[in-house]
Amino acid sequence: MAYIIGIDTGGTFTDCIVMDADGKLTAAKAPSTPDDFSEGVMESLRVAAERLGITIEALLGETARLALGTTVGTNAMLQRRGARVGLITTKGHRDVIHIMRGARGVPGLNNVQVLHFPESGKPDPIVPKPFIAEVSERVDCKGQVVVELNEGEAEQAIRRLVAKGVEAIAICFLWSFKAPEHERRVKQMVERLAPGVFVCCSADLIPRWGEYERTVATVLNAYLGPVMSRYLDRLESRAQAAGLRYPLQVMQCGGGVIPAAESARRAFLTLDSGPVAGVLASQYLGGIIGAKHIIATDMGGTSFDVGLVWDGEPIASYQSVVHQYEYFVPRIDIRSVGSGGGSIIWIDEVSATMRVGPISAGAKPGPACYGRGGTQPTVTDADLVLGYIDPDYFLGGRLRLDLEKARESLGPIATRLGMGLVETASGAVRVVEHQMADLIRKVTVQKGYDPRDCVVFAYGGAGPVHAGVYARELGAQGVVVPLGEICSLWSALGAASADLLHIYEAVDIQSSPFDPARVMSHFVELEAQGLRQLAADGVDMKLARLARSADIRYKGQINEVEVPVAPGPLDAAALASLIGDFHRRYETVYGKGAGFHEARLEIVTYRVRASAVSAKPRIVAAREADREPAREARAGTRPVYWAELGDFDATPVFWGHRLAPSNVIPGPAIIQVPDTTIVVHPWETARMDAYGNVLIDLGGR
Amino acid sequence: MADRPHPSSTTSGPHDGTTFSYIPGDTLAIHPSLTLHREWTDKIDPITYEVIRHNLWNINEELGMTIQRISGSPVAMYAFDLNSSIFTEDGEFIYYGPYQLYMSGVSDVQVKWTLEYRSQNPGIFEDDMFLSNDPWVGAAHQMDVTLLTPVFWDGKLFCWITNVLHQYDVGGITPGSFCPNARDSFDEGILIPPVKIVERGELRRDIEGVYLRASRKPYLVALDLRAQIAGNNTAKRRILGLIRRYGPEVVKGVMRKIIDNAEQAFLQKLAKLPDGVWRERSYVEVAYVGDRKTYQVMLNMQKKGDRLVFDNAGTAPQVGAINTTYSGWRGSIMTAINELLCWDQLYAIGGALRHIEFQPSLGAFTSAAHPASVSTAPVQAMEISLYPAYNTISKLLSGDPELKRDAMCIGGTSQFPLTVFRGIDQWGEKFGYLLLDPMVGAIGAFSFRDGIATGGQVRSPICRIGNVEHNEQSFPLLVLYRRENTDSGGAGKFRGGNSAAVSFIPHGTDGIVQDTESSGAAIPTAPGLMGGYPANTNYYRFKRGTDIQQWLARREIPGDVGEVSGEDVLLQLRQIDIQQGPDDVYEVAFAAGAGYGDPIERDPEAVRKDVYLGDVSAHAARELFRVVLAGEEEDLRVDVTATAALRRQAVVERLGREPKPYAGPRLPLLRHLTDCLDLVKSDGRPWLGCARCGQPLCDAHENYKLHCHRIDRPIQAANTLIGDPRRFIDDDVQFRQFCCPACGGLVENEVCRTADPVLRDIELDVE
Repeated sequence: MAYIIGIDTGGTFTDCIVMDADGKLTAAKAPSTPDDFSEGVMESLRVAAERLGITIEALLGETARLALGTTVGTNAMLQRRGARVGLITTKGHRDVIHIMRGARGVPGLNNVQVLHFPESGKPDPIVPKPFIAEVSERVDCKGQVVVELNEGEAEQAIRRLVAKGVEAIAICFLWSFKAPEHERRVKQMVERLAPGVFVCCSADLIPRWGEYERTVATVLNAYLGPVMSRYLDRLESRAQAAGLRYPLQVMQCGGGVIPAAESARRAFLTLDSGPVAGVLASQYLGGIIGAKHIIATDMGGTSFDVGLVWDGEPIASYQSVVHQYEYFVPRIDIRSVGSGGGSIIWIDEVSATMRVGPISAGAKPGPACYGRGGTQPTVTDADLVLGYIDPDYFLGGRLRLDLEKARESLGPIATRLGMGLVETASGAVRVVEHQMADLIRKVTVQKGYDPRDCVVFAYGGAGPVHAGVYARELGAQGVVVPLGEICSLWSALGAASADLLHIYEAVDIQSSPFDPARVMSHFVELEAQGLRQLAADGVDMKLARLARSADIRYKGQINEVEVPVAPGPLDAAALASLIGDFHRRYETVYGKGAGFHEARLEIVTYRVRASAVSAKPRIVAAREADREPAREARAGTRPVYWAELGDFDATPVFWGHRLAPSNVIPGPAIIQVPDTTIVVHPWETARMDAYGNVLIDLGGR
Repeated sequence: MADRPHPSSTTSGPHDGTTFSYIPGDTLAIHPSLTLHREWTDKIDPITYEVIRHNLWNINEELGMTIQRISGSPVAMYAFDLNSSIFTEDGEFIYYGPYQLYMSGVSDVQVKWTLEYRSQNPGIFEDDMFLSNDPWVGAAHQMDVTLLTPVFWDGKLFCWITNVLHQYDVGGITPGSFCPNARDSFDEGILIPPVKIVERGELRRDIEGVYLRASRKPYLVALDLRAQIAGNNTAKRRILGLIRRYGPEVVKGVMRKIIDNAEQAFLQKLAKLPDGVWRERSYVEVAYVGDRKTYQVMLNMQKKGDRLVFDNAGTAPQVGAINTTYSGWRGSIMTAINELLCWDQLYAIGGALRHIEFQPSLGAFTSAAHPASVSTAPVQAMEISLYPAYNTISKLLSGDPELKRDAMCIGGTSQFPLTVFRGIDQWGEKFGYLLLDPMVGAIGAFSFRDGIATGGQVRSPICRIGNVEHNEQSFPLLVLYRRENTDSGGAGKFRGGNSAAVSFIPHGTDGIVQDTESSGAAIPTAPGLMGGYPANTNYYRFKRGTDIQQWLARREIPGDVGEVSGEDVLLQLRQIDIQQGPDDVYEVAFAAGAGYGDPIERDPEAVRKDVYLGDVSAHAARELFRVVLAGEEEDLRVDVTATAALRRQAVVERLGREPKPYAGPRLPLLRHLTDCLDLVKSDGRPWLGCARCGQPLCDAHENYKLHCHRIDRPIQAANTLIGDPRRFIDDDVQFRQFCCPACGGLVENEVCRTADPVLRDIELDVE
């Protein structure tokens, strides 16, 4: 088996990366095909095969792993093109998903919307009230059935929803994670009464405490399920028809891949998997170049996403937000702000000061310099005015930028501030870079991680333009810009490097002193589930890994901390060391002295991560070359404005793809690659490593 | 303070925070041994300004988040019952956190008091912190404990950082320290004027001991204190970092500029608005157990040029357990000022405060003297101080077409209906707390769109409630339903957001013991604007000895308390020791958001959608909105002809005759005063006229309401969920409607006691 393939279907392009047994990478891109995304995927595979000089059949026939990252679910959410969903709930609790726990969907709002009520509100409901049916049944907090399932009402509910034309039915009852039988019985009834309707129940998807978040996740899954099933079914059968011998694997927000058939049943887990793949790619590359603590930053046109890899492992979290709806699922932590290249620069009229974002010009009309009718200045316009980016080589020359339009857009701002145009552009960039540093602080310092121990990975079109400054602001050790083929196909690489991973959880709130038998029984059950699934996936059981953890908190408090739990039988001594681990972890996250050792503890959630290590792409180091870049790597000089120097400077420009390992470039300098631009500030030094990445030494300033 | 003076026995004295609330003068008497850092530069480039400004906002926000994370208590995590602020060296607001707003509103006076009364003895030094919860110095109530941290640079006091966090229990006769039956504050939690709890970086165990000793939950209070200390330390470190990087004069310059800019923004708004006095009248019901009286609340707001002056003249004297101090009253009004007038400056209210005066009436129950009972202030007297301010300020804003978009009707829950419960829980342990579900709130209608159903509390923009599953884990309850309450929001051209109702039975226990504590149950506390209708009242429903267990056994869950059979028991608004057994069904419903504009001007298609979605009942659609619908569910449609006829009929009913819209020449417009009232010119004199048809009403110096056609209706006519006020109070209550005598369009409504005179809500100051 020679090949490992990673694919990422984005909104515009489908990326494909193929790695052969020697670690050689072959990249291919094809336009995405929103009417049937599987076409774009197959096309990208054909292009890749062509580059390898073989047929697609030969390629797929020799492929050990085909892993797919997909934004199909995310796009369906954005465009509101999911299924028409019916929801069945416990009687008396229809409004859970409308009440949204009584906030205005604040997790999805920006600062000003939070503070200014007239411009905020709840999102349009994913399921309007008439599409929610209540059924009498009740379980209590101990998991005991208080009201038996009223099957007559359930049948009526199903028939009513089907008559309204629903394509999917979500079922979420109170306390179902303690006693899932009622949900499962109703699910069976749907399968019997309405074959062909997509159905899912919360206990199977996300057996977590908290009915609002559980309902949201279940409804999202029903909303995306039919779309995702169609897409994955079609793609898998086409790939298998073309010779693929193994199940297609799909990237999940939890940080691993699962088989396509399983992913179709758990469609909501693909939400946010794109940025997660970026963090995995960082983890993968970090493993190769020896970076253990990584701040992974992705700055695109509309948002800035940050993840964290600590000690070689991506940091997990549980909170997800889609359209202001919040749900909890074990996932790789990503924080986002609306600071991208498209963030609009504006004037606060009263104070006559400059603000940047959070409003973005998006892709249309986009920055003024795109020449698509945008007149408001954006960060990209400022970058252009400063000379950071080359108007003739943006996106590898695919989009020609209009410098004059950028200058025009910034003009009124400069006039209003009484500053020069260039000073204004430089100021705007400084403001946005500080905003990014602030977000990174939230991901690191506020969670107990010190950014000074980290290396910043910068990717996405605008990341490497600004990383030098935000990394310096944070006191990070340096910046890594992944380069070459890897960079443009970063998410596809993340999918290709991901392990098979299933996460199982059970909630059983138990106060200390913990009962070892009760704790053990949960892990035994969860591990059995994990092993069954891995076996069903066809995994060689020698490669199977089971990792336990528990979410623990102080009794009477809300904050939970995930603590790893030892494998094997658990006795009182093992649980005592678990408590010690909790106290240590708690103080790391919440600060020294925050812990309260006299208090009793509660275990809330038991978790098992069942994984199988995938065959990884192996990239090989190139032979070292000279310190001095070759002549053909030099692209002359252009004037670039450096705030550090307070002026323009004729700055050397380099072609990134013509640099060779060991080449060293002292700042100030600009390195251009097709998908981004690396800005090397004065007193910084860039160096290409053996794998073709650019490392920036921040110069200790 | 050896004697316990009767609350009303003292009518004058110094405003030093002992008997009367502390009110700082224009200059503070600070001991000369304390040097304030007064140097700043105004030569700051706009970029540096923006970077530091953004940092200061973030520092303050991070301070709140730190406390929330470390405390981890449900109060902090869900209700966000905390807030953080940054002040200049002399106690001027820079930023207010986005958390429980009126907690910050009471913080500046505590900083100023500390400067005046603690700068000599024990002195204010680097790395000190002061703890305070005395409402006469400034706290909202005893449970809201403030931690004040002076930040020093180079031996000079540079700025202050404060945070406030609600504590589970600080003593008093009722667990949880909300004491609805307190006689005075000696029945309530411990009172601590600012004491130095951290001295030169060390937590003073002796002072901490005094503080914790008062509490039934000393461990949790101790943990929260650590959270508060950690939060202020984090913020202090970051501010010192800014000073080191940019220099003290620059950082101080940015702080000043934030305030100055906000001041300019505020003044620019005031310059667009007319001068005059705006008034709102409201009521609190039932001051103590067994009481059936009502207590008038007045808010008078004068706008003159570049000043706003608020007073509470006409408010009933302090009484029973319904009071707040001056600081609570002022801090409440500041919440509305921030949201309606300072939102664009991210709640940097310091600049506005330079032009705002507060004139409390001594001994009124919204500015009570020691030792009045004040433990319920935030859910009662402070709410009733806050919400009327939305109406006065919104009416003022209506005078400018652009600022009108910031207007907001009163939201829920304008008087918080408490459910205080205790007993033995399903785990065999003692419990005692209160149901936080009313925080689910509702947002009132805006001038251009509907309010937000169950959209939380305006006074706490990011608060949330726990899941039912969280409540059932913590308390021995089985929640039969928790639902949005159809028709609860006020009717109007734009509807107020609906609120919710919760019903439960005890579960896993033999029974629980409850206290009620509410107001706004007889007289709605969320009247609308511009003819918009009030939201529902709060209500409790209680049925004893029901057949609920048989229902459950036969696999049925009732959809409403009304469906089970049993003995209806009327719960009073301050009733203590109510026994609830597993057969007794309890429901509490919360007041919602008020409506904006005449309901018969609401788009009938919007009403159809309301009914389809279950937000409005078919009954209310017909009675309040006068829309005729046909069909059901997906086939529901508006009968356009019948609706038009019914709406015409509504106007005839109002006037008692056919409307005759004004047909004369329009008088020259001076400005639109509200959506319903124009300021016009008649014979060279300012005059008021109907904004719809142009009918001249009266000289602008008169009360326009006296020249409108008035309709007096029982309060039950205002909202289908309002019941007979006589169940709780002895007064009769009226829904007064004032409409244009010519066209019959609604100009304004009034919710009041029948005996009260017509309120002059707008009194213009025009030549």
